[in-house]
Amino acid sequence: MSQIVRSFAPKVDQEKCIGCDMCQLYCPESTVMLTEEKKVVFDYRFCKGCGVCANECPVGAIVMVKEGTQ
Amino acid sequence: MSFTRMMEGNEAAAWGAKLARADVVPAYPITPQTELISNIASLIADGTMKTEYIKVEGEHTAMAAAVGASAAGARVFTASSSQGIAFMDEPLWIPPGRRLPIVMCMVNRSMAPLGGLRPDHNDSMHQRDKGWILLYCENSQEVLDTILQAYKIAENPEIYLPVGVCYDGYFVSATATPTTVPDQAKVDEWLPPYKHEWYDLMPDSYKMPPPKSFLKQRIGVAEAHQKAKKVIEAVDVDYKKHFGRGYGGLIEEYNCDGAEAVLVTMDSMTGTAKDVIDEMRADGKTIGLIKLKCFRPFPTEKFREIAPKYNAIGVVDRNNSFGSAGGGIVAVELARALYDLSERPVIANFHVGLSGTDVTMNQIRYMADETLEAAKKGKVKQVVDWVETHDLGEVM
Amino acid sequence: MYNDEFEKYYEEQLIQGGTTCCPGCGGPLFWKLALKTLGKNTIVYGDGPCAMCALRSIKIPHYAIHFSFIADGATGISAALRAKGRNDVTLVSSGGDGASSDISFGKISAAAERNENMIQICIDNEAYMNTGIQKSGLTPYGAWTTTTPTGKESNKKDIPMIVAAHKVPYVATASVAYPQDLARKLEKAKSIDGFKYIHTVIPCPTGWRFDPAKAVEVTRLGVDTWVNPLYEVEAGVLKVNRKAEAKPVQEYLGAQGRFRRLSKDQIAYVQGEVDKKRDDLLANDAKKIIH
Repeated sequence: MSQIVRSFAPKVDQEKCIGCDMCQLYCPESTVMLTEEKKVVFDYRFCKGCGVCANECPVGAIVMVKEGTQ
Repeated sequence: MSFTRMMEGNEAAAWGAKLARADVVPAYPITPQTELISNIASLIADGTMKTEYIKVEGEHTAMAAAVGASAAGARVFTASSSQGIAFMDEPLWIPPGRRLPIVMCMVNRSMAPLGGLRPDHNDSMHQRDKGWILLYCENSQEVLDTILQAYKIAENPEIYLPVGVCYDGYFVSATATPTTVPDQAKVDEWLPPYKHEWYDLMPDSYKMPPPKSFLKQRIGVAEAHQKAKKVIEAVDVDYKKHFGRGYGGLIEEYNCDGAEAVLVTMDSMTGTAKDVIDEMRADGKTIGLIKLKCFRPFPTEKFREIAPKYNAIGVVDRNNSFGSAGGGIVAVELARALYDLSERPVIANFHVGLSGTDVTMNQIRYMADETLEAAKKGKVKQVVDWVETHDLGEVM
Repeated sequence: MYNDEFEKYYEEQLIQGGTTCCPGCGGPLFWKLALKTLGKNTIVYGDGPCAMCALRSIKIPHYAIHFSFIADGATGISAALRAKGRNDVTLVSSGGDGASSDISFGKISAAAERNENMIQICIDNEAYMNTGIQKSGLTPYGAWTTTTPTGKESNKKDIPMIVAAHKVPYVATASVAYPQDLARKLEKAKSIDGFKYIHTVIPCPTGWRFDPAKAVEVTRLGVDTWVNPLYEVEAGVLKVNRKAEAKPVQEYLGAQGRFRRLSKDQIAYVQGEVDKKRDDLLANDAKKIIH
């Protein structure tokens, strides 16, 4: 299992999410995925917490929170 | 069909690459290698040879492309000389560590500054620490035969090392000697198509050796060199069985029976030296000759086996190793090989033929006499003798 | 937890999540987007700059030597493919900005001249980032690096246009901020025989000095300010792909710490250069520029 090196982790508000796919498209590490049920999930094993997904989300459904509180 | 005619070393090398069915030839021209690759271009143009000849923009790329092609499953041939080999220095490190069986002709030529276009061995001997097998040839026939042997050695899965086939510029590269080109079908029978057991870059069958530590990789190369000594000898014996010609594998002993001293020569000067040794033997002088065919791996065991028979060995170094422990590259190597023998000959050392000056019969006679004297006295006059500084009479 | 789903996803993406690149690096993002188009039947050659650490995580054949070996090993692979009669395989050769513009510049030029059948990609993060942010031939004017502590004094080499001048069949600039355009260009490159060149400026939050979260945003600004315009040159004909009105370069420069020292005059100079380039591109749009 990988070591967690990030300070912040992404967290999604599924209510706000419009399933547009921008987070999955732009995640540099391929650690964000939209499931078949249009649910945004993160691979916290490999996510580096860069915050690109939160920045690219057009509706602010993803926020970066302190590691461990996601 | 097999045929025999007068052929320059470079043309013989081109035929060697052709007979080996080299798939890819990335090469860049440099004197005195140029005729080799222009001969290959002609063989391709007239339909005799089927190969991908990449006209690269420099030697660095030539070897890099060779690495790419060899890993991608192609049998690769290339060639260079002197400054060209030096420009290749960075990529030349890659094939031994990656265990890619590339064969490259190193057409010897002296290095700058003030280096002429004619040969000494520093360009190929610079490669001695990289992991290349280095074989030296005396004439056109030996060049052709050694290229075929080189692929058989290099592509042995126990070995998987690149081989440098070295021969003197001009004296071998541009001098025509009678050369037999064996039948292609017979070569095909002896040398099967290349297939690397470790690598496959094709997407449908991709295979790559697992990463190794630096140490393990280096030890792997060292062990392959140790194994190569037996393989080189066996391949030579097998080649002789099939094609009727052999070169002794690692070394060739010439007129050594009952000799109290021997000269060690390499490359084209050996032909002249053999004539001189014959003359001196006729005069009752007990001198023999050892031709060092394989410089890497250095035939340490072989030398340790035969050295106690002699009181002195005169090493003829057509190279310089400035500031070395004492003398030329081969002499230093040989001294280490024999160091811990309880009975060992003295080692005389000569620098001669630098930058392609002729190695004359007089010079060889002089070196033989000096070696015989060292054998009698049990010591040498000087660490290394720069033979060309003596006036030894006419050039013949 | 969705570990199994992610493992399946990584297989489909042809890249493993969790590379050794910095957070926000454009390298793995580029390869994720590119591999989708390139597909499984591809060999990738090349290595070197740290953005290419991503290549160690890809799930298709990859072969590299060092970063001073750009395009040359691929030349050998290309010859081997011809010798084997494998014309179905896509061969990609990649290099960083330092490799492409400096140490292996001649190799790309030579491969272009020989019209080797490969897609040569320059992953341009505008400095030697692997050794810790040193100036390369593709570092832009004014940028801070550890070897240009007061800002680079010369301009960035125009490698795509230099390659286009070799009369190769296809040259394009592309951006991870515009994935559809990027995919279309790779698709096109795949369909053409001969030497294809794709130049992509990717974000480097570490070397450019900005918050990794803004990686895509800053890259998009690079395109939208026309600092890094999107165009292609096919058979010598220029096509400008994104003609939107230019945002002021200040928006792009101001978003990055590496341009912090630029004076007003210097910013005006950059704006002038960008304007000239934009005018030139638009004036020649849809025209044959390489004869």
